[in-house]
Amino acid sequence: MRRNRAAVAVACAAAFVVGLTACSTGGSVGSNSSGTVHLVFQQFDPAAEVTGLQSTVSKWNKLHPDIQVDMQTLSPSNPQQLAREANSGSGPDVVQVPYANVAFLAQPKILLPLNSLMKKYPLAHGTGDLLAKDMVTFDGKMWAVPWTADTMALVYRPSALTAAGISSPPATWGELASDATAISKQSGGKTAGFCFGASGSATAAQWFAINYYMWNHGHGFVKKDSAGSWVTDITQSQLTSTIDYFNGLFVSGATPQSFQSVNDYTDPSIANGLANGSCAMTYAPPQTFQTLVKTAGDKVTTAPMPGGLKDGSTHLGGRGLAINRNAKHPQQAWEFIQYLMSPATFKTYEQYPASKSTLKSLTVPKNQDGFVQQLPHSVSFGRYIGSNMPVVSMQQLVNQQFSAVYSGQSSSSRAATAILSGLKAGIGG
Amino acid sequence: MANSQSTRHEPLLLIGPALIVIALLFAFPAVYNIILSFQKLSPYQSPGEAIWVGLSNFTALFTNNQTAEAAWNSAFWLTTLTVVIRLVLGMAIALLLQSDVLARWKLRGVCRTAVLLPWMVPPVVAVASWKWILDGNTGVLNQVLVGLGVIPRGIPFLADTSTVWWSIIAIVVWRELPFVVIVLMAGLQSIPKDQYEAASLDHAGAWKSFLHVTVPNLRPVITVIVIVTVIQTFNNFVYVWLATGGGPGTYTQVLATRLYSAAFINNSLGQGAAIGIMMSVVVAIFAIIYFRLADRENGARA
Repeated sequence: MRRNRAAVAVACAAAFVVGLTACSTGGSVGSNSSGTVHLVFQQFDPAAEVTGLQSTVSKWNKLHPDIQVDMQTLSPSNPQQLAREANSGSGPDVVQVPYANVAFLAQPKILLPLNSLMKKYPLAHGTGDLLAKDMVTFDGKMWAVPWTADTMALVYRPSALTAAGISSPPATWGELASDATAISKQSGGKTAGFCFGASGSATAAQWFAINYYMWNHGHGFVKKDSAGSWVTDITQSQLTSTIDYFNGLFVSGATPQSFQSVNDYTDPSIANGLANGSCAMTYAPPQTFQTLVKTAGDKVTTAPMPGGLKDGSTHLGGRGLAINRNAKHPQQAWEFIQYLMSPATFKTYEQYPASKSTLKSLTVPKNQDGFVQQLPHSVSFGRYIGSNMPVVSMQQLVNQQFSAVYSGQSSSSRAATAILSGLKAGIGG
Repeated sequence: MANSQSTRHEPLLLIGPALIVIALLFAFPAVYNIILSFQKLSPYQSPGEAIWVGLSNFTALFTNNQTAEAAWNSAFWLTTLTVVIRLVLGMAIALLLQSDVLARWKLRGVCRTAVLLPWMVPPVVAVASWKWILDGNTGVLNQVLVGLGVIPRGIPFLADTSTVWWSIIAIVVWRELPFVVIVLMAGLQSIPKDQYEAASLDHAGAWKSFLHVTVPNLRPVITVIVIVTVIQTFNNFVYVWLATGGGPGTYTQVLATRLYSAAFINNSLGQGAAIGIMMSVVVAIFAIIYFRLADRENGARA
């Protein structure tokens, strides 16, 4: 009897361990007994913005019964989860990666270098046709292929500007501040002149505007000097003046204080504000603007950001397509990537292609002129990549300190000092 | 002989599964966290790529003045205030739910269910709803207050330093209050009725009965509530992170949000582990107090 109980205990323990082991193992999907290859494609845009992409994938599945693709959405982008999966030998086969994250995934070789596949099965227009190649190249190899390109354009309600006696959208940062203040005052506070997410979170919301302002004024947060070392690229007084500019938007009433708790440019208070007229101006990437148009219609349009037609004053962002190092069918994965890069994809997928030739072949609606005019002048965040400090860490440091000034916790000069010392410590490693 | 050997090993075999669970789910992660706090490792690397850095993660932690600010916020705003408010409100609601008036009106069941509702809402949904209520532009609370003429324009509750902590406290108390109410109600139900009758014979009013009968009887329950809620709240990450992300500026940073930022934004798992150890030490002190009190209680009963 006792022996039986002991045997049961051992069996339970063994079953438990086996169960846990089974739970901890996974793997990318391979091919089944019928010879059909199954690939998992993971993308991170919100489900509402990818119906066009889903139809592109469905079309692929119809055309390629031997290579079936399952599109997964993991929103927002979570490169650390991808790293965890890849380090345990699993993960999606084809993955959409923001440009800023490619280097972090390339360094520990979580992605597959694409050079040999590109050589064997070249892209339709070659790599010379691609934008943002610097963002996907690491150690002399390409770890992702640039797929989409975007930037932030000024999104505004022409009627709100006209009501305040303003005939054209602001072309400089000074004009933006004065126009936004005039709109807020003229409307008696009913229409906020300039709406933007100004929270201290490590998000991209105010980070883009701050950088655009700085780049337009000839400086940035960090740069690589001629000796190849990372240094800060702004003086204390320049940074103080930048903080004062953004804080001035709240002080003048151009931006209501409530936007200090908004941490995303897709926040409903901005999107609804533009749609219902309680906001006159904001900035947004193409897909956010296209979503806004669905509710606001022709009441909103775009223009280049202030100073956005000056080279390097705005960022060239977007997403690359990469192959997981654990993919069992890299050749088929590459074939699928080439399909996703074709002009047909961008007829239904609301993004701009990172291929110059594909971009030229598209007919862009008139209200997206702001993006089209600005894109050729945009430069990637590659200028910040390569130091020991990830861009997201810079975002958190900068956003927190700007937010501390808006909320009265800190003065602009103290915040500038904190940012500079944080940057120096971060890039130094 | 063989039989006696099997008898000797049997207890070990019987507790084996439990030991495996403890080792896999508790001991290994705890030990690995300690190891990690002496290493430099990013979330993109595998554990084998870690570099030993000695005490530098702890040095960085204790030389950063944000740590003291976050520790104060965790201890005072997030924990002490919310625990005290929960206890006071919880006691009031528990007494109300036990009252004869509610029983007479047959409202006891409905009221108890209503009190439990916030606990059924996932914390993420609760915070998202509260953010919508408290929004400075479109929030329901501001719309009502402006509509009634109480305030001229919306208050950005989660962006203003004078209101942000009270807003977070409101969210935590609303979501976590039912636990306190349930436990106190259980405690109230266990108080013998004859003690109240004796107090009444001694001409004790409601307040004196509460002070001299209810509170002494509930003391062990209150102790358990305080200890458990302190441990739960001190470690909490969700409420602050989702409501404010630690802002405005660093005004609502707590140790848990600092841990997340260090580990997953600054990509330093070692520094995150060091903060985790610091938090564990604080919580361990409370846990020890809790177990001591629980032992004393058991001893007294025995």
